[in-house]
Amino acid sequence: METEDWSGGWSDLEVASPLSDKGYDLGDSPKLQHRKNVTRAYWKEALGMAEIVSIKGPRWRTTGIVRDGKIYAFLEDVLFLAEIGALHLLDDKDECIPLKDIYMKVAQGIGGLSWESFEVYKHLKSLGYIVKRHGVYWTVKHAKRAPASVEGESGSQRIIDNGSEDISSITEITELFRAVKIKDEVRPVFDVYPPNSMFKKSSPGDPMFILCINHGNPSTKEQIEDLERQCEGIPLLFCYVEHGRDHTMESWKQKLNNPIVKSICCISILYMKILD
Amino acid sequence: MGPRWKGKGSEVKALANPISRSILNLKSSLIKSNSKGILTSCSVRLACNPEQTNLLNQTCFGRCEMTIDKDQWFQFTLEEACYLYFSLKCIKIVGDDDSVKTDNDLWEYMTSKKVDFPNVFKAYSHLRDKNWVVRSGCQFGVDFVAYRHHPSLVHSEYAVLVFSKGKVDGNDRLRVWSDFQSMLRLCGSVAKTLLILYVNTNGEKVIASSPSCLDGYSVVERTITRWSEERCREDQAVGMK
Repeated sequence: METEDWSGGWSDLEVASPLSDKGYDLGDSPKLQHRKNVTRAYWKEALGMAEIVSIKGPRWRTTGIVRDGKIYAFLEDVLFLAEIGALHLLDDKDECIPLKDIYMKVAQGIGGLSWESFEVYKHLKSLGYIVKRHGVYWTVKHAKRAPASVEGESGSQRIIDNGSEDISSITEITELFRAVKIKDEVRPVFDVYPPNSMFKKSSPGDPMFILCINHGNPSTKEQIEDLERQCEGIPLLFCYVEHGRDHTMESWKQKLNNPIVKSICCISILYMKILD
Repeated sequence: MGPRWKGKGSEVKALANPISRSILNLKSSLIKSNSKGILTSCSVRLACNPEQTNLLNQTCFGRCEMTIDKDQWFQFTLEEACYLYFSLKCIKIVGDDDSVKTDNDLWEYMTSKKVDFPNVFKAYSHLRDKNWVVRSGCQFGVDFVAYRHHPSLVHSEYAVLVFSKGKVDGNDRLRVWSDFQSMLRLCGSVAKTLLILYVNTNGEKVIASSPSCLDGYSVVERTITRWSEERCREDQAVGMK
């Protein structure tokens, strides 16, 4: 088997991140190259998700969830790939939905996605992290293997307990996110895994951390403790998205007065590891 | 602290290409193409042709998002979008239903998104009207940083905090001396002067539904620097060898 790009197929991508500071004599801006391998997906309005119909490239090993033998992508997956020309999103008339209309879907809050969430998703995916919506399993097989306490959202447990593998599972997922209040002060949004060329959706292991996005002031101690109870054992990362030209993701972790904390490790971002 | 130009020829280039002229050209280009931005939560997105892309980069409005589209998509902060809309009057803005927002609709939206939006926008406009290039100061823990010209030609001179005069609760920055010390220490480390912009409402009530309340606002500029008693004494010394 060929050695696959750990970043999930970005090797043919000219530039993966947004333009940063430009020189004064700009001239022609660099542009993304049109790709040969373009995935086709149908937008399912009722679901608020896309059904992938023609899979191109290895990126789908680390993107989208599997139900009933099909891959479904959340709006953040769709927009990220559409922006870089790796995905054509089609409507029910087989016509390509333009980027402007996909931006409108995000503006309308379809599928529980906020702009802040998308910015964070895009930033992490561009760096090679594997990112999935919190509260759903990658596959049904993943759910059956995972211990009962792993996934934080009771909604996702309910889907698996039903034992159904047909389209109604997807419907329950979309209902779960339709009910999400985007403007909640802080909530877990994504499960983030490290870059991994051997990643398998059926046995992904625990996420590296669960990302919570703050829309307002920094979280209080009580809010953090409440979230930690929901996400038993998985480290939390809190993120605040600041809009501005010098766009940086500010992330921080509050150190709790928790007797079982044995160590705090700083890499490029801060996280707290709770050891038994 | 005077301007710190980056490299040879930057100052000459800047003087030959004033920001004010680039902004006029940008305004004219956006009006000509009847540009419409999409309001998205706390930002506005706009599709721009190559000429507009160039001018937006020269004047440092927005952040370019690279996409496969033939037009470049720019993302503006609320302040930038409002400056283009209310001050330069060169774009329209549509909501998620594709309908064009009126002045009052847009103002109401902006003031609902950020508590202190009128004061922050007034401060932003105050600097932009004077042809300073204004960017987010989040990397330095301030509201804005101000550049004399394009950031590729010159380092920013001012780290800007926006304070509101007459605010009942007071401002939540620089409340105790250690706040001053840490802020001044930071500014010194990054070679910027701390500039406080006091926005005075002059008794005008913030009318959430209309931007006309800003007409009565005024802005007072005040820089804060550390006074070094030893250096000052040496600088002022007479007859010493």
